[in-house]
Amino acid sequence: MNPEHAPGQGPEDGVHAVVAEFSHPHDLAAACEKVRDAGFTRWDAYTPFPVHGLDDAMGIKPTILPWVVLAGGITGCGGGLLLQYWANSIAYPFIISGKPMFSIPANVPIMFELTILLSAFAAFFGNLLMGGLPRFSNPLFRMPRFRRATSDRFFISIERSDPRFAEAKALLSGLAGAVVVEECPVDTSSDEIPRVVRYTGLTVGLLALAPFFLFFTARNTTSTEPQFHVVPDMDFQPKYKAQTENDMFADGRAMRLPVAGTVARGELRDDEHLQDGTIDGVWAKDLPPSITGDAAFMARGREVFAIYCSVCHGLDGRGDGLVTRRAQQKGLSWVRPTDMLQDTVRVQDIGQLYGTVKNGIRNMPSYAAQIGVRDRWAAVYYVRALQRAGYASLDDVPPGERAKLEKKGDD
Amino acid sequence: MQHSVDPSVIFGENRTLGPGRRKLMLGALGVGVVATAASIVLGLAGDGQRFQRAWLVSLAFFLTLSLGSLFFVAINHVTRAGWSIVVRRQAELFASLLPLLALLTLPVLVPLVLGSGELWIWNDHAWVEGHHHMHHKEGWLSMPFFVVRVAIYFAIWTRLARSFLRNSLAQDADGARVHTGRNQRLSAPALLLFALSVSFASFDLLMSLDPLWFSTIYGVYIFAGATLGCFAVLILTSMLLQRSGRLEHAITTDHYHDLGKFMFAFVVFWAYIAFSQFMLIWYGDLPEETRFFANRATGVWGDASYALLFGQFVVPFAGLLSRHVKRNKPALAFWAVWILVFHWLDMQWLVMPNELHEGVAQPALFHVLDVTCLLAVGGIWVAGYAWLARERSLVPERDPYLGESLAFKNV
Repeated sequence: MNPEHAPGQGPEDGVHAVVAEFSHPHDLAAACEKVRDAGFTRWDAYTPFPVHGLDDAMGIKPTILPWVVLAGGITGCGGGLLLQYWANSIAYPFIISGKPMFSIPANVPIMFELTILLSAFAAFFGNLLMGGLPRFSNPLFRMPRFRRATSDRFFISIERSDPRFAEAKALLSGLAGAVVVEECPVDTSSDEIPRVVRYTGLTVGLLALAPFFLFFTARNTTSTEPQFHVVPDMDFQPKYKAQTENDMFADGRAMRLPVAGTVARGELRDDEHLQDGTIDGVWAKDLPPSITGDAAFMARGREVFAIYCSVCHGLDGRGDGLVTRRAQQKGLSWVRPTDMLQDTVRVQDIGQLYGTVKNGIRNMPSYAAQIGVRDRWAAVYYVRALQRAGYASLDDVPPGERAKLEKKGDD
Repeated sequence: MQHSVDPSVIFGENRTLGPGRRKLMLGALGVGVVATAASIVLGLAGDGQRFQRAWLVSLAFFLTLSLGSLFFVAINHVTRAGWSIVVRRQAELFASLLPLLALLTLPVLVPLVLGSGELWIWNDHAWVEGHHHMHHKEGWLSMPFFVVRVAIYFAIWTRLARSFLRNSLAQDADGARVHTGRNQRLSAPALLLFALSVSFASFDLLMSLDPLWFSTIYGVYIFAGATLGCFAVLILTSMLLQRSGRLEHAITTDHYHDLGKFMFAFVVFWAYIAFSQFMLIWYGDLPEETRFFANRATGVWGDASYALLFGQFVVPFAGLLSRHVKRNKPALAFWAVWILVFHWLDMQWLVMPNELHEGVAQPALFHVLDVTCLLAVGGIWVAGYAWLARERSLVPERDPYLGESLAFKNV
C-alpha cells in the first residue's frame, strides 16, 4: 500500500511505523514537542478532536491554503463580473427595466455568490490535495488499539521512512504518559481494487453512458413507430381541446357557442359614433355625446398618449419618439411615424383620428386591443389639443398667463 | 476536554479600574457637561435644527454601541460561549449604560413634546396636512404614542442589561454556578425582545426622520452597525485597560484574534445588509423608495455615500482579511478606530440628509455642533462607565467558564 519505502530500509522486518498511545491530550502535546525537537520529519499525531496548540507543538508551518482560497475568491468575483459583462453587454444585450446594459449593482449578487462558491471550492479541494487525500486506507487502521483514536485515545506514529527511525522506539518509550508503544505492521494485503468494486464500478459507469447513447440514436434515426408514452395519464387526458371535433354534440364541435344574442360585458356595440367614430358611415366631427370633453378627460388623454403614442410619435406628436430616435441612431430602416401636426392630419375629423387608433393605418397597427374605447377618444382629444398648441398665437393664451410669456421673451 | 487554566490566576491580576477611576469619571463628566452646555447654547443661539440632528447622531452612535454590547452578552450566554468570558464584563457595563442613554434622549424628546417638527417632521402638522400619504401613518407617528414607545424600548433594554449585570456581579461575590444558569435562561427571550425592540426603535428614532420613506430591512441595518461598533469598542477598551496595567494576562492575542474575526465578519454583514437595502430599491426604482438614496446621491452626501462604501466595507475588508492583522495589536487597534469613525459617519449619513421642507438646502457634512454633541454624549457615557465599574472587577472573576476563556487558543 505504502509506496514510499526507501530501498535500503525495505519492509522486510514488516514494520510500518512505531506508534505510541497516550490517554491525555496534555501528554500528547508535550510528547509532540519532544518528537519535534528530536528532529523527526515523517511522523504524525492522531486525536479524536482538535487539540488547541497542537500545530505549534508539532512544528507544523502555517499552511498556504488561505492564499489559495483568496485566489479562488478573487477569481470568482472577477469571473462573475466578466461573465455578466460578456453576457449582458456583448453576447445578448437586452434592456431590463430601463437599467444600463452593464451596471455594477445588478451584478453584485452573482459576483458575491461566485466569490463564495470558488472560495469554498478552493478551500475544500485545496485541503484535499494538500493533505494527500482521498486516501482509502492506512496501515495504522490494522492496529486494533488505533481504533480508539476516534474516541478517547491519542497517538503519535513515526514512520519507517523517517531517516532517524532507528531512534524512534527508544524516544517514544521514554515519553511521559505513553501508555503503550508498539510497532505497526506493514499492510501486506493486496492493494488491488476488489473485484466486486471494480465490476460494479465498470457496470455503473457504462450504464451512466446509456442515456447519452439513447439520445444520440433517437436524434439520428427515424422511426415509423408511434411515440413512446412515458406518462400516459398526462399524454391522454379525458378532455376535449378548443377547436376540435366532438361527436357528442349535433354540430360536431367540442366548443359550445354562446346563446344567440349574448353580448360580453362591455362589448355592446350599439353606438356607431362611440365605437367606430362614424355617423352613418361618415367620420364624426365631435366627441360622442356620452363623453364630456372636460379638463379631467384631457388629462386622461395626455396620460394615454404618453403611454401608448409618444414612444413613436413623440410627446409633442411631431414623430420623433424614443423608438424612432433609437431606430434612426441604429441606422435601421424605419419609416418615421406621421407628424400629427402636419396639415393632412390637422384637417382630419376627430372621428377619423379615432378610426386610426382603432383600426391602424399603414405601418401603425390597430391599438384596439390595448386601448379601451373611452381612452381612445381621450387620446385623440389630446391630439387635437397638441395640434392646436402647435399653431397657437398669443391670443390663445389666457390674459393672466400672457404676462409671464412676454417677460420670458425679454430675458 | 479542552486545556484549562486554573481560574484563580486571575486574582493575581490588577482587575479593577482602581485609583485612576475617579479621575476618569470626573474628567469625562466635566467634558460631557461642558460640551452639553456648549451644544445647547450653540443650538439655542444659532442652528436649533442642527443641534437636534447632531445630538441624535451622537445619541445613535453611543446607543448602538451599548445595544451591540447587550447583544454580545446575550449571544454569548445563549451559545454558552467560553472564549469570551474575559471581555464579557466590559460588554455588560456598556449595556448597563442604556438607562443613562434614556436620559440623554431628553434634548431631542423635549422639543418634540413641545411640538417641534424640526427633527421628526411628522410632528409638524402643517407638513402632514400637505402629504396625504401621511394620513395612514399618523396613528403610529404621533405624540405622545412615540414617546411612550421610546420609553418602552429603553425599559426593555434597561431591564435586560440590569439582569445580566446583576447576575454576573452576584457570581463575583458567591461564585455560584446558578447565576450563569439564570443568565443563560434569560438570554434566549432577551434576544427575541432585543430583535423586536431594536427594529422598532430604529424605525421610530431614525427611519421616521423621513416619514414618507420605508425599508423593512432598516432594523437589521442598524443592528449590523451596532454589533460592528461593539466589537471595535471591546477591542479598544481591552487594549486601553491592558495598556494601563489591568488584565494584562487575562486577555491574550487569541481573544483579540477572535474579536477581530467578529469585527471582520460584521464588516461583511453590514455591507451585505446595506447592499441588500440599496439593490432592491435601485432595481425597483419606485419614487417612494428611491427618495432615501436620492437624498444621499448628490453633493457632499453623495461623497459620504461613497466614503461609507469604501470606508465601512471595501478598505476594512481588505485590511482585516489577514490573520496576522487580527493578531497584531497596533494594526487591530488602527482598524477598530477606523471602524468607529465610519460607524459615526454611518449615523451622520442616516440622520442628516433628510431635508423635506421645500427649498431647504442640504445640510453640511460637518458642523461644530457635531463635535460638541459627540463630546457631550461621549463624555457622559464614559463617565457612566467609570461610575458603573466602581471597585468592581473588570472580569467575571468566578465565572465557571473563566478557566476555559483564559486558556483559549485559536487553532
